[in-house]
Amino acid sequence: MNDPINVATLFLFNIVLVNIPLLYGTVGEIVVEKSGSLNLGVEGTMAVGAIFGYLAGCMSNSLLVGLLTSFLAAGLCGLLFAVLTVSLQANQNVTGLTITTFGLGLYFFIGKGLGEKWPAMTGVPALMDGFAALEIPLLSRLPVLGKVFFSQNLLVYLGVAVAVLVWWYLNFTKTGLRLRAVGENPGAADSVGVNILLYKYLHLMAGSGIMGLGGFYMALNMSGSFEGSNCWINGYGWIAIALVIFANWNPVLAILGTLVFGFFNTLQIYSGALAGAFAGPLGWLSAVPPQLYKALPFIITAIVLVATSIRAREGSGQPAALGLNYFREER
Amino acid sequence: MKNHQPVFRVVKREGAGPGRQVLAYVAAVVLALAAGAVLLQVQGVDPLTFYRQMLTMGIPGSRYPWRAVENFIKLFVPLLIVSLALALAFKMRFWNIGGEGQFMMGAFWAAFVAMKLGDRLPQPAVVLIMALCGALGGGLYGMFVAALKVKWGTNETLLTLMLNYVAIYFLQFFAETKGEWNFFLDPESARPKFAKFPEGAQMITIPIGPFRLNLSLVAALVLCALIFLYLNYTKRGYEIAVVGDSPSTARYAGMKVGRIVIRTIFLSAALIGLAGAFHVSSAGVMSASPTNDVGWTGVVVAWLAKLNTAGILVAALLITVLQFGCQTASAAYPSIDANFANLLQGVILFIVLAADFFTRFQLVWTRKEAAK
Repeated sequence: MNDPINVATLFLFNIVLVNIPLLYGTVGEIVVEKSGSLNLGVEGTMAVGAIFGYLAGCMSNSLLVGLLTSFLAAGLCGLLFAVLTVSLQANQNVTGLTITTFGLGLYFFIGKGLGEKWPAMTGVPALMDGFAALEIPLLSRLPVLGKVFFSQNLLVYLGVAVAVLVWWYLNFTKTGLRLRAVGENPGAADSVGVNILLYKYLHLMAGSGIMGLGGFYMALNMSGSFEGSNCWINGYGWIAIALVIFANWNPVLAILGTLVFGFFNTLQIYSGALAGAFAGPLGWLSAVPPQLYKALPFIITAIVLVATSIRAREGSGQPAALGLNYFREER
Repeated sequence: MKNHQPVFRVVKREGAGPGRQVLAYVAAVVLALAAGAVLLQVQGVDPLTFYRQMLTMGIPGSRYPWRAVENFIKLFVPLLIVSLALALAFKMRFWNIGGEGQFMMGAFWAAFVAMKLGDRLPQPAVVLIMALCGALGGGLYGMFVAALKVKWGTNETLLTLMLNYVAIYFLQFFAETKGEWNFFLDPESARPKFAKFPEGAQMITIPIGPFRLNLSLVAALVLCALIFLYLNYTKRGYEIAVVGDSPSTARYAGMKVGRIVIRTIFLSAALIGLAGAFHVSSAGVMSASPTNDVGWTGVVVAWLAKLNTAGILVAALLITVLQFGCQTASAAYPSIDANFANLLQGVILFIVLAADFFTRFQLVWTRKEAAK
């Protein structure tokens, strides 16, 4: 039980298992921000994706239906954001915050309303199996690494695949490059014939949809149990916004960033066990207040944010027109 | 090549009257309540009964009606002050979404004073020092971001957002760590729990019959008037308007834009810190999550009111009725909770944001224009 290797393996395994929703949220927000919009509604969007995806998954007894529903429900939040900020020129910060307020309100309204009728995940074999560990042949037999990276559930692999796919899309496809042009300088992109409206709408919806998948993941990871006071998302949406900056708007770096943030996130739970198992080198871990581990991702991001602004914009992946609405008549 | 002419184009509207806006707000509230009624019906709750309970806030027929009013004021005062403060920042297009963090810092330093001086000085002195220290704590927490923004152009939206979380865990540390040094906690309790403030650190109340008027309400209303005067009748208030309109114009006119931004954000964050101090002093005890989401709701209120001081007073009142009303009304229903207010609030704001477009812009039919 207290075998050091086991404790360390379990610790590393949980870093991946618990924090993959951050990756979905971050990659989704990167897609959104690359189109030039700062959507602060990640938390609410994930909550909406989570609850609709979970309920649909339970009713249909299908993982795929759950995934698609969470993508669509969250995508609708993105559509709402697009209608308000792109077509109707509303302020992005206020709209994003409102999506969070509204999304969480909807989440609790549905959950509370179902009350006793809330479906338990244990009664839905498709979701139980879908979230069970999927061991990759050969690789999963590697010591430590096999358990940590290759004995995870399907949605973990999917998250990594989505991140790599989005990275490829943004950097190596024509539409991806055009999207980045829209985020950097919509006026210039418009003048060479890129359909700004279409690009913004599609990517706001797709990005929000990806966040919704992260919400669905969190629902399954919480075994689908609804608590009246705490939302499943539990602040992960806000951490994702921080992670976008930490990853410098790069989806592949976001994988790394998720592990770094996840490391601190999980350390607060495992610091006692790790200090016990490695009393010599790591005994001091349990003396560090757990709140510091929780705050570290935000402190690091704040430092990254300030440091990149000091180094000017050289090499920063932040889109130049981030947060600014595009009004054609003012081009 | 075929020429695709759009049917209409969008141009900015000149000088929209207030009539349109008021109409939009009334429509937003009515539509939101109607949408809410449908949802309530689905849950098997009679919407009319619920809304009646919500709007009366359980005051009539209660055994202690004044107690409900006192609690209402305790929710209203922080929201009013925070919304006013955020509007100051937003006027300069400084996106301070760190209200939560600044509020917590204000509450923390006020609690610090309360625990250290609460039983040594007379009550008015303690409450005053708490207010000042709260304002200073919140103000510095916000001003630090403004300074970075002025010096290096750091993104203030994201940085204030991060600092909210730093403040949350900072407070949690004091809330959850037992120790000889931690004078915030109740020494009697085995589990970590915040100690009640000494009598002297509780907010002063003025008894009017059975009702005890919370002094912070008076202070908030005075602040409201002062901010109105500051913005409309002083040079510094005018500078805020100019910087918000166009920093380059302000610079050209010889204003020191950086200094104006830092000064105004300090003022904004200090007011939020003050609200935090008032809150803990009225509650009489520190809490690990003292804000009641006021930093977020304040953004909603400020925006609903178009950053207008008098409008904020009305909007803050409306949102407090919504929140406090939902809290009391939902107590009778297991299937509804106070979060229903957030749902309504979201719908109201969505409609207002959409309606704003039609007060700011107008659609011009291109065909008609071509015919001219």
